[in-house]
Amino acid sequence: MHQDFPLVRMANISKRFGAVQALDSVSIEVGQSEILGLLGDNGAGKSTLIKILSGVLPPDDGEIYFNEESVRFSSPKDARARGIETVHQELSLVSIMNISRNFFLGRELTKKRGLVGVLDKKKMDKECRRVVAEIGITVRSPNEYVSILSGGERQAISIGRAMYFGAKLLVLDEPMTALSVMETRKVMEHISKARDSGASVIFITHNLYHVYEVADRFTILNKGIKIAEFNKKDVTAEDLIETVARGEVIKS
Amino acid sequence: MNETDTSLVEPKHNLSVMLSRIRNWPELGAILAFLTIFIFFSLFAPRFFGLRNLTGTFTVVSELGIMTIGVAFLMIAGEFDLSVSGVYATTGFLFVTLGNRLNSVLALAIALAVAACIGLLNGTLTLRARVPSFITTLGMMMFLRGMMIVATGGQTVVYEGDEIVATLLSKYIAHGFRPSHIWFIALVVFFSYLLTGTRYGNWVFATGGNKEVARAMGVNVERVKLINFAISSMMAGLSGCIVINRFGVANASFGTGMELETIAACVIGGTFLTGGYGTIIGVFCGAFLMGSIRTGLVMIGAPAYWYQAFVGAMLVIAAAIHIKVRKGVM
Repeated sequence: MHQDFPLVRMANISKRFGAVQALDSVSIEVGQSEILGLLGDNGAGKSTLIKILSGVLPPDDGEIYFNEESVRFSSPKDARARGIETVHQELSLVSIMNISRNFFLGRELTKKRGLVGVLDKKKMDKECRRVVAEIGITVRSPNEYVSILSGGERQAISIGRAMYFGAKLLVLDEPMTALSVMETRKVMEHISKARDSGASVIFITHNLYHVYEVADRFTILNKGIKIAEFNKKDVTAEDLIETVARGEVIKS
Repeated sequence: MNETDTSLVEPKHNLSVMLSRIRNWPELGAILAFLTIFIFFSLFAPRFFGLRNLTGTFTVVSELGIMTIGVAFLMIAGEFDLSVSGVYATTGFLFVTLGNRLNSVLALAIALAVAACIGLLNGTLTLRARVPSFITTLGMMMFLRGMMIVATGGQTVVYEGDEIVATLLSKYIAHGFRPSHIWFIALVVFFSYLLTGTRYGNWVFATGGNKEVARAMGVNVERVKLINFAISSMMAGLSGCIVINRFGVANASFGTGMELETIAACVIGGTFLTGGYGTIIGVFCGAFLMGSIRTGLVMIGAPAYWYQAFVGAMLVIAAAIHIKVRKGVM
């Protein structure tokens, strides 16, 4: 099962917004079943990099390889078709829609009936109910509105949904923002579980203690440039914090 | 209920659960309000609850309702259409002008196609130029009205073409029944199903509910909005043609103010002004409520201006109730 080449390799990615060089020839890679912590202060270019990877933005320059095959994503749909699923802090669920409808948004299950996609609501509810129960969330029905869920439950459902649809790479953009301590712990368990079931993860966060606990490797950006790469065994969480805060690698 | 499903809490049959059920169904308010008004007028206006009046009410309701369905469908996707009354009049006019020269079915087809194009133009202006739809469609409404006065010189036009479309859309059958009633009900069923039972409906909800999320999940938000702009315009055009065929005449002020009536009917029917939620059944009740108030007040002997005051009050009360009811659930 284990392959030697990385699952995703982004090579020499550059992106400019007007006068701002958001990314300057950044290269990152994520191994098979690996959790990569993508770190950096505000404005480092983490989000831009992720948006390029998930097909939201096109790169000005550079290549993306998926299982060593050159790919080009012109929309999030393209990226998702390859198994790259992104969970944003607030961009994953519509709060005034029910859980089941959210779960299958954009990938609705339909019965074959002519041109109009007729929703197979029974099957959608059944599948959604099963996944939600597996994740360990207690709701009365998959037809409850998402707005009744806590932030942690929403993130758990987003991750569960990504895994349900066969995510090979899970991109988590600040998944712990505004979560309680207990919920943070739960979401971290879901992340580890995703890795254990064979998916790779890119985990973006400000809280270095969170990412240190679960990640295997770290890539640090500063002002659009990759400044450091570490394996977990080579650094302490304090080293990482120092590097991010100073924007340069400290010699020790 | 699935018995093996232990992780899900079984519903408790108590008052709070019942209340939350009601909360999940905001159009219930419109149904209750409609019944209250309906019973009130039936009791106090002697001839209100008579077949002739009820069918007459239904005629007005159908014409307003068909237009409201389109407005609601677009509103759920998160955009306004204030141009509907202008489209209604323009399409009606176009139908009369063309119908006096051509076959009326052809005239109707062209008129509706033009209505759809106006909708697409509304949508393109809104999405491309990023001007809020409130403004683009308001501008469109004023533009259409102005152009119509220019084109007609304020004169009334009379329809003198064939009777095919009139028979299909609005010709008196018996006891006040008209084909427009059937059209309205059929369209309510169709759009209700489209909204709740199809993939497209799910995209409409998501687009209005949170367009960033919808886009991130692969929904083509712009296309959904554009289609709904076209639907809104076409429904307004259809409504205009129905009314023109009932009266046989039209002038440039035809349907003035109806855009606000449609919005009122939407809101009374539980549609969110901010998008993301609404039901066509609610729209049906909202339109019916407005129609009942209109004929009921006349029957009770109140001056016609009371209608506006009444609808205004209803609108604010309905909005306040919906907001209250929604709290804690959505």
